[in-house]
Amino acid sequence: MKIEIKNIQKEFKTIGRRSVNVLRDINLEMKDGEFFVLLGPSGCGKSTLLNIIAGLENPTGGKLVFDNKVVASGNKNECISPKERNVAMVFQTYALYPHLSVYENIAFPLRIAKMDKAEIDKQVRKSAEILHITNHIDSKPSELSGGERQRVAIARAIVRKPRALLFDEPLSNLDAQLRTATRIELKKLQRELGITTVYVTHDQVEAMTLGDRVAVLKDGFVQQVDSAINLYEKPANKFVAGFIGFPNMNLFDVEVLREQEKLYIQFEKDRFYFDNSSVKAGVKYCMGIRPADIEVASDNENILKGKIDTMELLGKEVLLYVSSNNMEFSIFTHKKGFKENQEISFRFDQSKIHFFEK
Amino acid sequence: MNEEKIKNLLIISTACFMVLFSLLPFAYMVLTSINAAPDFLAKGWNLTFENYKNVLGVESLHFLDYLKNSIIISFISSVATVFVASLAAYAITRLEMKGKIFILLFVLGISMFPQVSMIGYLFKIMVYFGFINAYPALIFPYIAWILPLSLWILVSYFSQIPRDLDKAAMVDGCSKFQILFKVLFPVALPGIFSTALLSFIFAFNEFIFALILTTDYHSRTIPVGIALFEGLHGQVPWGQIMAASTITMLPILALTLIFQKHIIGGLTKGAVKG
Repeated sequence: MKIEIKNIQKEFKTIGRRSVNVLRDINLEMKDGEFFVLLGPSGCGKSTLLNIIAGLENPTGGKLVFDNKVVASGNKNECISPKERNVAMVFQTYALYPHLSVYENIAFPLRIAKMDKAEIDKQVRKSAEILHITNHIDSKPSELSGGERQRVAIARAIVRKPRALLFDEPLSNLDAQLRTATRIELKKLQRELGITTVYVTHDQVEAMTLGDRVAVLKDGFVQQVDSAINLYEKPANKFVAGFIGFPNMNLFDVEVLREQEKLYIQFEKDRFYFDNSSVKAGVKYCMGIRPADIEVASDNENILKGKIDTMELLGKEVLLYVSSNNMEFSIFTHKKGFKENQEISFRFDQSKIHFFEK
Repeated sequence: MNEEKIKNLLIISTACFMVLFSLLPFAYMVLTSINAAPDFLAKGWNLTFENYKNVLGVESLHFLDYLKNSIIISFISSVATVFVASLAAYAITRLEMKGKIFILLFVLGISMFPQVSMIGYLFKIMVYFGFINAYPALIFPYIAWILPLSLWILVSYFSQIPRDLDKAAMVDGCSKFQILFKVLFPVALPGIFSTALLSFIFAFNEFIFALILTTDYHSRTIPVGIALFEGLHGQVPWGQIMAASTITMLPILALTLIFQKHIIGGLTKGAVKG
């Protein structure tokens, strides 16, 4: 199913009659069968957007369209109930019905839909098998571990063959190892089922590994929608640049200047010459460079000089924190043998410098 | 002795003291009921079941009528109360409305009227409706009287049930009523049970309404019935009163034992991350 989000707005009225604009003007399109991730820091409105897609909340403006049919808009009469939308949702807290067995939990949506008993049994067993929880089918949710509970929740979501699967931070309550394992399985499962999936997370690793496309949200606006690799390599603005990628991108306010035909950036002491047709001299930019795109130099050409403050050994690589020109740079390198307080020189990979307009 | 042992000793001795303190009157009650004379401590033991035979067998005492009345009235009152309170608690915890806290405080305020201040008007109303000495004369006031407490207990219980369950049920296709009856009520069952039990006990033990609004064994309840037990020659029949009290205790005791598991609860475990 194709999901179109057109100019969706959501305003909450608080007790003091102050209104809070959680979603200001959201435009997104999720293709049929796509794994779409909504990524953003807490409070960016991503869960609200998911609730609007599910039908748990109504937007105060804009339109939500499923396969060319309007299912919600600023006009309340056009909003149809979650039941009619036929979407399924998996919650961070699992939200299993504690009084029902695993079997009954999975069967619940089918029973509400008044499906035939034999058919329910067949579907429940099939879903349980897909999620590998057949052994636990008679247990109560309280007897299961976190990972198993989340599997039950996912089984309950897929059992009635929804048109869209919605995930609200489903892995946040699992431990790191289980999270990685479940992530991989989830991706596989979505591929097999081919159901349009919207997945909300604040974890960029999850977003990058799972999503066919990722939308980065902040302050009720979509900052960028793109594939994971493009978000990393071509961030649209300073926020996306700083939010995506580990270790974090180095970001500085700089002024680009020109000396004859050559562009350069004047740091406090050092000067870095570079080539880039898209920036203009005499303009102030925010410059971004990923730690991995800074090279520790062994020659003296076009370099910055600095001193290593501290360093972190991350297995094969080293992350250096270098102070230079009254600024802090982090540099990610494969080279070895650094010491604290060591003087080093480094240069940026010219093609990897990002300039964001201020 | 190490710290752990001292701690255990203190806990056990305090528990023993509390249990003894509260059970001693009951023990005295039971002992008096099975002795021929109430002053058995001075005159010596004389075990007999005569009192029970009298209480249960002598028709003019109407003990069994009182018991029946009490059970019926308390049962209807508590079921009605809990039903209304559950719906109200759902509305207060789950629906969007302004001034919820004022509703709760208002309800609490109502429950603070002393019973005595209402009894005169209540009597007039019941006379007007012709309910005096009939079950409704007690059932209606009991519902009104117990409702605030039940509502407060259930509101706190419902607000502990995670909202995500409502959301999940809604996405799974439930209507508001289905959410209530298929998810929230079953999950809140321990709370509803204990509230119902509490309401039952309240209604079962109530004295002053029952005293004023009933006149004879057709609708008189146990507490009043026992209080009005009279001996043949004006003496207080302690043995029979105690026997009647002991029997009266049994339904409450049975209810508590049967529903103990539900009262202790813990059923919400596993609903969300535990």
